[in-house]
Amino acid sequence: MIHVYGIVDELDSLPPLEGLDDAPLERRRVGDLELVVSEVPREEVTQEAVLRHAEVVEALMSRSRAVLPAQFSRPFSGDEDLVSAVTAKAPELGQRLHRVRGCVELGLRVVAPLAETVPEAKSGAEYLRARLDEEHRRSQLVAQLDEPLARLSQETAGGAAGSDVFERAYLVRAEDVPAFIDAVRELEAANPELSLACTGPWPPYSFGAETAK
Amino acid sequence: MSSDLRPDLRQQVTLLDLVDRVLNKGVVLSGDITLSVADVDLVYVGLRVLLASVATLEEQGMPVAIGDALR
Amino acid sequence: MSAHEPIDKVLAGSGDLNRIAGELEHLQDAFPRRVNADPEKVEQGLARLVLTLVELLRQLMERQALRRMEGGTLTDEQLDQLGETFMKLNRRMDELKAEFGLEDRDLNLDLGPLGNLL
Repeated sequence: MIHVYGIVDELDSLPPLEGLDDAPLERRRVGDLELVVSEVPREEVTQEAVLRHAEVVEALMSRSRAVLPAQFSRPFSGDEDLVSAVTAKAPELGQRLHRVRGCVELGLRVVAPLAETVPEAKSGAEYLRARLDEEHRRSQLVAQLDEPLARLSQETAGGAAGSDVFERAYLVRAEDVPAFIDAVRELEAANPELSLACTGPWPPYSFGAETAK
Repeated sequence: MSSDLRPDLRQQVTLLDLVDRVLNKGVVLSGDITLSVADVDLVYVGLRVLLASVATLEEQGMPVAIGDALR
Repeated sequence: MSAHEPIDKVLAGSGDLNRIAGELEHLQDAFPRRVNADPEKVEQGLARLVLTLVELLRQLMERQALRRMEGGTLTDEQLDQLGETFMKLNRRMDELKAEFGLEDRDLNLDLGPLGNLL
């Protein structure tokens, strides 16, 4: 079976690494696109395999003009499957490869302080009013956090998951990364009650498809 | 200052974002949703479209009758 | 054979990082993946699906109520009735989640290329 690491643009040479299960990395051409793959005997999702996959993708990023990381998922049964799957997405992939050139992904996670559970409201109307306030406060906070960072990014992806968490990925030009980190530090200082983590630089995992921005 | 953060926490947060990216993000090449129960696929897709259409109508400032969005 | 640790990628961080790092436990439940033949797990899987759908509808409906409230198209009586219903539904959802050992973050569906449901 074939495991895919990503689609690469102008890859110099394969990194001196082995893939999953220590199998050799291979280059595979599908139309105008080039993929990096390896043979796997069976599908197995272990932490070790995930780490190795990530390592390969990082190495590909440093050796090419651009890389679109492939999601770690069910491997392909053979070349035919792989080719038809890639061909179906070829135009979009080509565009995305161009879009992410020279950029990295930065991630932000924010957790609000533990919200008080909505108090047992005395009436239905009171409950709804409390909900509305909560909603307003939440969207204001999200906008406040996202806006300065979105300004420094080419694209953003992801969205808040739960009621007290905010999670977003930003596609940032390499030269804009220091300014981005400064902006995050400013947000930290302005919102001391929040728990926040910014990570990166990552290969553009979240930007392999068209995003809203 | 991020340099004050405990190394073990830094490691965990790094690992979290790494694993999340490798497993949940990235280009999906295997075609359509690979959920094993075909009927369930249809339900998921329908619901997502419903959510999106309601959100769009909301943005346009109109209160929405969920029934309208289902048509 | 143990995997070596990845290179540190934290660029900035503050506050209670334990709460953020705690998400990792949830993701690591995926390792290693195995076919779920355990009947208890199957039932929990069904409960998860059902509760996720209920949660989706609850959120949709509550949001609709809030929009109408803002637009002033609900009478006081309707506001009270709706609010009471949502409060009760919320409470019941909390009970059901506890019963099946599910947390808010479990009530989400990964739709692959469509992202998450909630």
